[in-house]
Amino acid sequence: MMELWETYGIWTAFTLLYIVLIVGGVLLSVAYLTYAERKVLGGMQRRQGPMTVGPFGLLQPIADGLKLFSKETIIPSQANKPVFLMAPMLLFALSLVAWAVIPFDKGWVLANINVGVLYLFAISSMGVYGVIMAGWASNSRYAFLGALRSASQMVSYEVSMGLIIVCVLLCVGTLNLTEIVTTPRPVWMQILLFPMFIVFLVSILAETNRAPFDLPEGESEITGGFMVEYSAMTFALFFLGEYANMILMSAITTTLFLGGWLPPFSMWLPAGITDVLALVPGLVWFALKTAAVLFVFLWARATLPRYRYDQLMRLGWKIFLPLTLFWVVLVAGTLLTFDALP
Amino acid sequence: MLDFNLIPILPEIFLAFTAMGLLIVGVSGGNKSTDIICWAAVLSCLMAIFLLFGISWQRTTVLNDMFIIDQFGGFMKLIILLGMIASIALSVKYLYQEQMIRFEYPVLMLMACVGMMLMVSAHNLLGLYMALELQSLSLYVLAAFRRNSYKSAEAGTKYFVLGALSSGLILFGISLVYGFTGSINFSVIQTSLSNEGAANIGAIIGMVFLLSGLAFKISAVPFHMWTPDVYQGAPTSVTAFFAIVPKVAAFALIIRLLYEPFAPLMEQWSQIILFLSVASMTVGAFAALVQDNLKRLLAYSSIGNMGYALIGIVAGNEAGVSAVIIYLFIYMFMTAGTFGVILCLRRGGIASEKISDLGGLSLTNPALAYAMAILMFSMSGLPPLAGFFGKLFVFQAAIDGELYALAIYGVITTVIAAYYYLRIIKVMFFDDPVDTLDKDIPFARRAVIFVSVIFVLGFIIKPNLLVSSSQSAASAITAPQGLAVKKTIKEPPQAAAAGDRPSSTEAAATVTGAQDK
Amino acid sequence: MIIQALAFYLFAGILSLSALAVITARNPVHSVLFLILAFFNASGLFLLLGAEFIAMILVIVYVGAVAVLFLFVVMMLDINFSDLRKGAMQYVPVGLLIGLILLIELAVIYQTWSLDAITAAASISMANMGETTNTELIGANLYTNYVLPFQIAGLILFVAMIGAIVLTHRSRPGVKRQKVAQQYARQRDEAMEIVKVTPRTGA
Repeated sequence: MMELWETYGIWTAFTLLYIVLIVGGVLLSVAYLTYAERKVLGGMQRRQGPMTVGPFGLLQPIADGLKLFSKETIIPSQANKPVFLMAPMLLFALSLVAWAVIPFDKGWVLANINVGVLYLFAISSMGVYGVIMAGWASNSRYAFLGALRSASQMVSYEVSMGLIIVCVLLCVGTLNLTEIVTTPRPVWMQILLFPMFIVFLVSILAETNRAPFDLPEGESEITGGFMVEYSAMTFALFFLGEYANMILMSAITTTLFLGGWLPPFSMWLPAGITDVLALVPGLVWFALKTAAVLFVFLWARATLPRYRYDQLMRLGWKIFLPLTLFWVVLVAGTLLTFDALP
Repeated sequence: MLDFNLIPILPEIFLAFTAMGLLIVGVSGGNKSTDIICWAAVLSCLMAIFLLFGISWQRTTVLNDMFIIDQFGGFMKLIILLGMIASIALSVKYLYQEQMIRFEYPVLMLMACVGMMLMVSAHNLLGLYMALELQSLSLYVLAAFRRNSYKSAEAGTKYFVLGALSSGLILFGISLVYGFTGSINFSVIQTSLSNEGAANIGAIIGMVFLLSGLAFKISAVPFHMWTPDVYQGAPTSVTAFFAIVPKVAAFALIIRLLYEPFAPLMEQWSQIILFLSVASMTVGAFAALVQDNLKRLLAYSSIGNMGYALIGIVAGNEAGVSAVIIYLFIYMFMTAGTFGVILCLRRGGIASEKISDLGGLSLTNPALAYAMAILMFSMSGLPPLAGFFGKLFVFQAAIDGELYALAIYGVITTVIAAYYYLRIIKVMFFDDPVDTLDKDIPFARRAVIFVSVIFVLGFIIKPNLLVSSSQSAASAITAPQGLAVKKTIKEPPQAAAAGDRPSSTEAAATVTGAQDK
Repeated sequence: MIIQALAFYLFAGILSLSALAVITARNPVHSVLFLILAFFNASGLFLLLGAEFIAMILVIVYVGAVAVLFLFVVMMLDINFSDLRKGAMQYVPVGLLIGLILLIELAVIYQTWSLDAITAAASISMANMGETTNTELIGANLYTNYVLPFQIAGLILFVAMIGAIVLTHRSRPGVKRQKVAQQYARQRDEAMEIVKVTPRTGA
């Protein structure tokens, strides 16, 4: 028994500790992402945003959370109860398990697996189920319509996201996220991948159902979309899941395109400055880069009107898919021509 | 590491690329360009024939032993391509007449053709399965092509469901064969089986499953249930295609499977094939007697004909295989002509498919009636015509293989089957005429009927043209396997095989030349 | 090894139970959801075997794409499945018979199973594996040794795509489509006209 404890117990205890740290960090980030969103939106619309609860309104997210937790969870009488309750849990759980493979700093990763990228892709492709289950189990037209919209949207954009990831993988030659970050990329490769970075940014907006692609919950047409019937705790889980997903997608973007925890612009800046930048801990760079991508989410929400559904599908299938497909060929061809395959 | 020699696979690659190119033409040109695409497809089949003659037919395997080209494969591909040309040529006008002009039609046909050619050249169970699926999938879509008609949709669905079932059987068989021989490569399976022989029960069960799945594709009894419904429901031009080409490919595949990987199990499989053959001949002869729909009748006729062709395989010797090839070649020509005639049976723009619709055809349209009569005589196996020789070679092979009972049974069913072929002739010549047919018979259809009738009549003049080349094709598949052990038949020297090829080229050139106008 | 064994029994148990639930669940949507659970656990089993690539692909393809479409269809079809199932009991004897035959066949096969050929084949590939991950190995094999079936698979998908369009696409008249290029090509002169309005004339 003692032996078992020594072989597995300590390891399990440490893993649990890491998990608690990661989940706690993510939840805290989610809380303050909502705060940041309101502040940024406020700033862009020349308002002040939350400012009464705590200094600068800093305690606002906590107050919101408390409010949601203390409300009554309403389950519609015609709803399919187990599926109805499972949907938000699934969505929320999925937005947390994906963090297992994200490297926060050199060696700071819970599971350094060989197929990290595929794992992320698999987890994010399962997110659809939370939405469909919620829409179907609510037994409401609005919810079902919203779920259908959302599911087809997520499935559509996953295709081009997959192809973009293939472009990156061609350049780095590994599926391990840590190695993706550490594999050096020459400047021409960064330029080659830049258009894909932009397409990826747009795709993750669609993948997370955020503005300007937030049709699933388009208030003006289908009230609240797939989560129209949810209230209190169950709604909070959806909400947390959506924001955790945003952060996750930003973290993936950071890892794939922005060099993860490495100091930025190391290729472009003189050696003296990069040395100074390297003194800053990797986690900070990672957080800053993720925050920068998150800012794009908020920025897009504040500036762009919502897409019409056919426009959204057209963008996904008729523009992004051919473009990314072509880019895969281009990247592969370039790498082959210049003998730069990893 | 790997031999990326693509030369032997050139005709297939060419056709696949042409199909994609034609699809692009179709998408940009719309359904108006169907005509052009159809003729371009015919042309590309001709080109593929030239490419086929351009490459060496010496036995070679490429792409990690996945693809094989030899005399047998080359000759079968030639038959397939000729059949393709005939069936596309038959289709063009029909698409207009039935208001189902869609440019995807020839593209799907070309893709099916690629699948069939790859089937013939498969040298690996995986490649075999993929090629078979490529072919079948195109055929399912073609069967349901007239999507506004319930019959066509039913045909498509039925064909798809049963086809999927047969694919399942094939896959299960493949997995067993792989599990018990440790390889999916034909040559490795053969060596492994010749070491263990009949002791390998798992592989035998696998082979049985594989054969059942393939029997679906050639509609041999008891796996024939789909055939009458699909033949009747599918658009007639598609039925013509089904009757002409895919059977040849499936037969080629069966022959290659039985004579290469499963050659050591000949004692086991010859019993299965014997059963399939007898059952098919019986059902083909008796069930057809009560049909009054021409397409259904031809479905049963094709079931019966597959039974006769299977006799050649049961015979288990080189003469048998060459008899099968000759039989299929002749059958292809006869069916093409027959369907050409059926496609002409239109009254006031509406297709008629009943046997009674043929009534008095000799008075209203004598040329068509005589063509049909010749074809029917040939189908029933009347002596000077080509159909007789097809059966003759098959029965001869059976007798060589000491299968007297089978040969006699074949003759009996032939006599029974002759009844319904002759009934058609009787209806045409002795019944009261019904309304006259539409006069505008498109040139391509006339050309196909003409070539087919000429072939049927003229085969007797120079049978060696076909016989010698099919013999060399057969020897290519039986000789390397040392198959002569069971029943010794004279083996023609390889040199003769190489020399025969140009003669078949000429034959092909004359045939295709006539159709291409 | 205990952890692996525990994980195996966990995955295998849930897999079997959910597979059972797929065919017994009354609600078809529940059936599909259990099917997804079964896929997920199967991928867990693949992970235990060390086939991480297959495991991930199973989730991405089957769970992420195929089952979603399944679920769509099942949710949108308004079929009363309990009606469909009413006559199902009368087929049970036939089903059991076929199951029994298959079981006997499997038993016969198992009796004669010889692992020699397979272990021989497997040991070759294992020896070549060395340090390479199985993703790399699958890729290296797929694009070289199995390039022909791979390309044929591509053609099959191509045909499937054409087939789906041929059989279902109907161009309906009177559909308004957005023509983006035309919208962009529009100039100010075509789109608007500046009219000088004189006040108090009413025009």
